[in-house]
Amino acid sequence: MRDERVEAKREADALDEPAAEARELAERLGLEPYPVRYWVVDHDEMNELIAYGGFQRRYPHWRWGMNYEQQRKKDRHGLGKAFEIVNNDDPSHAFLQESNSPADQKAVITHVEAHADFFANNRWFGLYADRGEDGPNAAARLERNADRIAAIADRPDVDRDEVERLIDAVSALEDTIDQHSPVDAARSVEKPGVADDVSDPDGDALAAIQDRIDELDLSEEVRRDVFDDEWLEARGEGIEPEEPRPDVLAFLRDYGKRYDPDSGKAVDREPWETTIIDALREEAYYFAGQKQTKVMNEGWATYWESVMMGGEGFAGPDEFLTYADHMSRVLGSPGLNPYKLGFELWTHVELRAARRDVIDKLLRVEGVTPENFHSRIDLDRVADALEPHPAIAGAGPATLDELADLAAEGDPRVDGEAVDRALSARSEEESAGDDGETAPDAGPDVERYPWKLLTREGLAERHYVLSRPEHRGALRNVSRETLAERARYMFDVDRYATVDEALADADRAAGWDRMLEIRESHNDVTFIDAFLTDEFVRERNYFTYEYSRATERHRVASVDADDVRKKLLLRFTNFGKPTIVVLDGNFRNRGELLLGHRYNGISLDEESAKATLERVFELWGRPVNLATIRVEYSDEAIRRAKRRGTEPEGEEVGVRLQYDGGEVTEHDLDPAIRERIEADEVDYDTKPDDWLA
Amino acid sequence: MGLTEDRERFREVGEERREDLAEFISHGDLGGSGPDRVRIPVKIVDLPEFEYDRREAGGVGQGGDGQPQPGQPVEPEPGGDEEGDPGEEGGEHEYYEMDPEEFARELDEALGLDLEPKGKRVVEEVEGDFTDTARAGPRGTLDVDEFFKRGLKRHLATDFDEEYVREGLFVAGADVDDVFAWARGEGVPVSRAWIADAAATAAEAHGEPVEALDRWESFDALDDEVDREPATHRIRREGLDSVPFRREDERFRHPEVIEKRERNVVVVNVRDASGSMRETKRELVERVFTPMDWYLTGKYDAAEFRYVVHDAEAWEVDREEFFGIQSGGGTKISSAYELVEELLEEYPYSEWNRYVFAAGDSENAGSDTTDSVIPLMESIDANLHAYVETQPGGAAPNARHADEVEDALGDADDVAVARVSEPDDVTDAIYEILSTEGEGSGDSTAGEAARGRTDGGGGR
Repeated sequence: MRDERVEAKREADALDEPAAEARELAERLGLEPYPVRYWVVDHDEMNELIAYGGFQRRYPHWRWGMNYEQQRKKDRHGLGKAFEIVNNDDPSHAFLQESNSPADQKAVITHVEAHADFFANNRWFGLYADRGEDGPNAAARLERNADRIAAIADRPDVDRDEVERLIDAVSALEDTIDQHSPVDAARSVEKPGVADDVSDPDGDALAAIQDRIDELDLSEEVRRDVFDDEWLEARGEGIEPEEPRPDVLAFLRDYGKRYDPDSGKAVDREPWETTIIDALREEAYYFAGQKQTKVMNEGWATYWESVMMGGEGFAGPDEFLTYADHMSRVLGSPGLNPYKLGFELWTHVELRAARRDVIDKLLRVEGVTPENFHSRIDLDRVADALEPHPAIAGAGPATLDELADLAAEGDPRVDGEAVDRALSARSEEESAGDDGETAPDAGPDVERYPWKLLTREGLAERHYVLSRPEHRGALRNVSRETLAERARYMFDVDRYATVDEALADADRAAGWDRMLEIRESHNDVTFIDAFLTDEFVRERNYFTYEYSRATERHRVASVDADDVRKKLLLRFTNFGKPTIVVLDGNFRNRGELLLGHRYNGISLDEESAKATLERVFELWGRPVNLATIRVEYSDEAIRRAKRRGTEPEGEEVGVRLQYDGGEVTEHDLDPAIRERIEADEVDYDTKPDDWLA
Repeated sequence: MGLTEDRERFREVGEERREDLAEFISHGDLGGSGPDRVRIPVKIVDLPEFEYDRREAGGVGQGGDGQPQPGQPVEPEPGGDEEGDPGEEGGEHEYYEMDPEEFARELDEALGLDLEPKGKRVVEEVEGDFTDTARAGPRGTLDVDEFFKRGLKRHLATDFDEEYVREGLFVAGADVDDVFAWARGEGVPVSRAWIADAAATAAEAHGEPVEALDRWESFDALDDEVDREPATHRIRREGLDSVPFRREDERFRHPEVIEKRERNVVVVNVRDASGSMRETKRELVERVFTPMDWYLTGKYDAAEFRYVVHDAEAWEVDREEFFGIQSGGGTKISSAYELVEELLEEYPYSEWNRYVFAAGDSENAGSDTTDSVIPLMESIDANLHAYVETQPGGAAPNARHADEVEDALGDADDVAVARVSEPDDVTDAIYEILSTEGEGSGDSTAGEAARGRTDGGGGR
């Protein structure tokens, strides 16, 4: 055992240098990551970390054991070796698998640095990080929850099984939160400690909130601004909310009770139960940021990994093949792959921004209009002109003198200081060559890390998207409509006399700048909505599929960009889950809970909905109801459809499922409630009319 | 570590929610399992959540080359290949996996079986502890302890209280022969020659023959007065000056030879594939045979399976084909037993546990059962011959094979006949068969003993 640890330590030491260099490169590229602590772990520790969602300690629950077994199976069968896992925290902690090859380790480090940048700068992560504590504080927070829940389970007066049942119930509802406002999460979670176990004596939620706001010790100004009457009213409208409440878990926390089988009645919860609900709910908010940005975040990390590893040769030439293989495996895994989708979308964003920049410049050349763009402008020449400066493209020991010349002219693309140091190191080496001594200051290692000679601007030119071979045709492919669209709102035309003059003004960092902006403000839903263009769908062969009831199998439904976008949005909106809201906490005036499934044309999986409803009962203590709409297909309709080679028309039927501790029963849905849950304006169906013709 | 507990708890939760074993055997989906891995569907393992109906939701795919045409059939995405991604999981059933060993244990528990497999084939002779001894061997293996003990024993056996015997010489009128007779009578290991020597010495010292030395009136008087001191006391008092080592006391240690016997089994599954064996019958056969195969795999160290199907003729097939084949021909069960006999020549009964499981709908040609099958069953040595009649809806009047076998061999402790008419009968049939096993050939005790050794030997 000890030997293994020594091995891991040695491995970790060997990573200090690449980690430091990767950080420097990442910052030079314009990223601003959280500090990262690197750990090297063996595969079993890795499986444990993955089971725990990237952390070393979590509260006791069998689900972690399940995750572990699944991961171990994957690991053993070579289906999913995890190279790394990194958690969103400040500092971030990255765990690297001991068995990774050196090339893998470097690739993983570059990947991790980009993740850490995303954690630190994305707004959706920020929602949690800025919730009032000093940064995400995640590891400490989860550890505290682990200790508290373990302590509760150990209490002699608490039944372990009860704790597990409660965790089961809350976990089943972990996605029914209001992930857009985690500030709200902080509301119900008090300061850690014994105080949490004391519930509000009077049970008045509104008063309790008021108390807590007082405790926050805010200035009167802030309080009026943030926690105004309207806000308070929204929180405190109590058990019969005017508007549907998306944070089901919070509602259950505030107004739920516990069913006591002995008396057959709902009783108030024990304080420890509320403590557990609060802890798990807060963790759900923490993980929500991750779940909402999976495509963006993985794509982001993959993009920068490819720039650093492939573009900047962060892997040595001998390691490059291993790296390339690793990358192709990551991107090549079948199905809809968030790494690949994200990577492609980011590249698309970059390309579009760069192209727009160039088009804008070219359209400002005297006499160029959208109509004559393709004929007036020699796009081959444009492509040549956009090639990076040879000294920049080939930056390294061989181009030092050229770079020095550029630096002397104050060229912003060159890191003059680094070039100076490299030059003096070189001359010292030359003079030292006679007596065989090594120079005291070796200067930057420009052989291995040529990027040290360049600024972000220089690097942007070196990696300019429009000069990459695969994108050289991008300008040619731009349509006249797009050009006209751009030109329509353009002022200050005819600014440049010649094409060369215009291109000299092209901003090579336009793509990267745009990417940085987007990584700050978007989540997967808005990202896909905004950047999944027709061109993107066409070029990458994306399509939608639907289940055909007539032929009883899945079929390709559409290759239309709008359809693909619609389907992807379905998959990423609200974690890809149906939206469930609280409609009423005093349904039928009997204290029953009424949840509503906001029906968007896709019905629920009823089996799991019923099973989940049983968990809701655990947290409400009284009968619970779920209003939903399902699509029913009559045998007749299916028969007719089969005969005609069409799809059957389904009938949307409102249903209310009720669970009172016995069996889930089905009831007709009151039309007034149906109206409240039905969304008319959305349609996720992408089946064409003449589908099976 | 907390995760260890979480894993244990997960196993418990999984176990609570897996299908009851008997239920699984009778009605469950056996197809998800392989020969080494029994996969029992678990009702729900992961927590439920509100989710979309997967069919209603559809999805997005990416074409390899070129955009596919609408209407073209596709496979929806398989279960996710990255963790925690929404909507990626859930398509697959959850299974509780057990290996055949666990399956066998569980089935023992569920059905109250206790089959004790016997070790048969000697797979190796290993050197055990140096616990056996021999009279010859290399010097280095001389068992010094033993050598000394034997020498000491000899010393104790030959040693005696010399003073005591000498006193005998002072009994009135006693000569050497009297003293010798007395000493021997007292159980003193003394020789006459020693007494004669002692007498001569005493006579010399006192100047007169021993007969004349009268210190004691009689031997009885001597015994009353003088206590004999046992040799052990004396050795303790005086110490051991020398132990007489002799060649014949030498013992050389050598390792014990342990025969490791493997608990090995060959199972021949025989099935009627004739035209009358329709799907329901075949499925019943599969439900009986498959769990028995797992069970025996789990019970034995090594298990081999052979599969024979027959109509009027018999031929060997692979497991994959075994349960599905249906041929058109008539039925002659003895053809299968002839082939079984031939196959089993590879597995001598002295080295293998043998099970012959046959199944069919009891239809057989003419008097084939009494004329040929029963004699063959008697002549083929096996731990167990079983016949499983699968006859949905109960016995058919002219299908008599099971009855005839039962009449002829029903009392034998190595023949079992079971009847299955519906899935609910399956576990009873399995119990009937697996609880019937005979004692097999006589070497079972040796096997037991050897197993005791091998089981214990794992700790070194």
